[in-house]
Amino acid sequence: MDVEVTQDYQCVGKSCLLLQFTDKRFQPVHDLTIGVEFGARMITIEGKQIKLQIWDTAGQESFRSITRSYYRGAAGALLVYDITRRDTFNHLTTWLEDARQHSNSNMVIMLIGNKSDLESRREVKKEEGEAFAQEHGLIFMETSAKTASNVEEAFIDTAKEIFQKIQEGVFDINNEANGIKIGPQHAATNATLAGNQGGQQAGGGCC
Amino acid sequence: MSQKDNKSLEEDTCALDENDQKAEDTGPTETDDVEAEPAAMTRKRPESKTSEPSAMQEALDQKVQESSSIKQSQTGWGYWGNWGKNLLSTASATVATVGHGISNVIEKAETSLGIPSPSELSSEAKNVTEECQNSAIASDCKGDPENPSPSITGAFGMFSTISTAVQNTGKTVISGSLDALEFIGKKTMDVIAEGDPGFKKTKGLMNRNSTLSQILREAKEKEEQRTATEVSMATETKAHYGLLFDEFQGLAHLEALEMLSRESELKVKSVIGTLSGAELDALKAELEQLKEAFSLAEFCDDEEDEKEEGEDFTREIKGLFSQLRVSTKPDKLTQARSSACELAHSLSMQTAKEERPKEVDQQVGFGDAEQEEKKSVEDIHASAIRSLAELTAYSIEVFHKTAALVLHGQEQEVLATDRAKALSQMTIVLCKELSFLSKGFATCLTAAGVEEKGDVLNPLITGVFLEASNSASYIQDAFQLLLPVLQLSHIQAQAELTQ
Repeated sequence: MDVEVTQDYQCVGKSCLLLQFTDKRFQPVHDLTIGVEFGARMITIEGKQIKLQIWDTAGQESFRSITRSYYRGAAGALLVYDITRRDTFNHLTTWLEDARQHSNSNMVIMLIGNKSDLESRREVKKEEGEAFAQEHGLIFMETSAKTASNVEEAFIDTAKEIFQKIQEGVFDINNEANGIKIGPQHAATNATLAGNQGGQQAGGGCC
Repeated sequence: MSQKDNKSLEEDTCALDENDQKAEDTGPTETDDVEAEPAAMTRKRPESKTSEPSAMQEALDQKVQESSSIKQSQTGWGYWGNWGKNLLSTASATVATVGHGISNVIEKAETSLGIPSPSELSSEAKNVTEECQNSAIASDCKGDPENPSPSITGAFGMFSTISTAVQNTGKTVISGSLDALEFIGKKTMDVIAEGDPGFKKTKGLMNRNSTLSQILREAKEKEEQRTATEVSMATETKAHYGLLFDEFQGLAHLEALEMLSRESELKVKSVIGTLSGAELDALKAELEQLKEAFSLAEFCDDEEDEKEEGEDFTREIKGLFSQLRVSTKPDKLTQARSSACELAHSLSMQTAKEERPKEVDQQVGFGDAEQEEKKSVEDIHASAIRSLAELTAYSIEVFHKTAALVLHGQEQEVLATDRAKALSQMTIVLCKELSFLSKGFATCLTAAGVEEKGDVLNPLITGVFLEASNSASYIQDAFQLLLPVLQLSHIQAQAELTQ
């Protein structure tokens, strides 16, 4: 599965989330993401090996027309804002529209309120995030790339949701435009899914 | 191989055998003279390394042997129908059935003709089986009779081609004479020539509709599938180019570059669609000019003066990159190249010194150099393939980043044509570098493998050259993806000027 994530530190933390998920480490200073960066990790869902290919898209407004090109072919997206900055939360609607418009309509979208470790500087209440998610039919979670809190869960829950959709037949797995690719089959009975959860974690209009 | 039509079958068979040998040894025969393989010049992309030609080889061996056994036993035409069928089925069957298939042929020949089996026939069948096994070993054990499926998957397309070729010629055989067999031989050679990477003709076999990243992905998945069923072949996996290329995110960058390229192409087309008359002609001429910068001159890597000092490449790439005026640096690329060169260098030092344990492993670092065993040829091969995959992946990343930044378009003071020229120069530098590196690795392999048998060493050396050549193809293809991007940036720059 391809998952896209975007962030830089001054922003909402997309690249940090990705690094925490793929390498299990935190690096506070990142270069600005140019266009898109990549990360990949194997996970296991219901006994099946799934490779998450994550696209970490640039959060900078000026890259927006380029990041739009990457939405296509994503099975899932993580939409990230910074709980310590209300402006990033306010931008969510435009990013969400962008993602919905340029991707598969079945794309699984998870809303992430990042930097939950900075409780003292919180500007956006958890309830606000929950309400926004409910209104737009998203899954919601607060994470901290720094302490790794909920990072694993955010990616894996998104993957599970995609996996479920695949099993329900919502995604046409033969169509690669959905960002899902079937991997090698070890045996007839033991099919391995190597989908691409093309999530794109767009930071709420940061920087 | 042009043969006179009336040449006897026997001669033909011999010629085939020779050629056969040649085809298999294209790389290996150059063990002593490694510069001979111009890896960077070829433009082809075979899907799965050596397994294809080797499987082909076996099929050919088999057929050649079949032909000769038939020559000895044929007297009546009733037999031919069976033979044709048998050939068809064995051609598409697995290697494991090769020996079996041949005894089948003989049995059928016997029963249908009522001739007692001459003892040569059975010994010949045995030879064939042995030969098949030999070539199976020579070809990296990929066609191991125990585990035939991988080579079959790899060579599936080719087998069906053979069957068709044989099918097409089938009628000629039945109504014709022995000459027809010669024709089959030639035809088979043609088919093989197309399938063998050494013949540099694979291009036509490629499905032109699929994108490069798809092809690479398929190759990678095939390999994953293969390794999933063959747990024991851990070393093989280590050295699989496609998997490594993906590990370095080469596939992802290539896919992303394809997306940008496709979208740019659409935008360029829509702009062209809005224009007419003189404006249209002018734009077309400009775009054409840009396109010319993308036609890489056939470059040869025969200059032997090539870089002794590693600085050249880094300087050259950096210089070219600065001409692009995009706000990123090719550091990863130059570092990957440096470490590849260091690796090749330390490997050659090691092989030069032979005896003592050497400090070579760039992956592990220099700390545990003391315990380091002398590297086996397999290890050298694995490191070589890894370096090639890394360098290629980073080259493609550089192209992708360049595309993103060009489209980002905040620094348009550079003309698109100038960027095109710099990029095309960069492509040439990269390809030459790959060729240079592959020669270096091949030299190491040759030196390290003096005690190895040819059938162990040769496929490894061939593999390095093959992947270097593939790498060069990928880079050149990725470079071509930049054309629509630069065209679009050109159009945008023009639009800004007129405003």
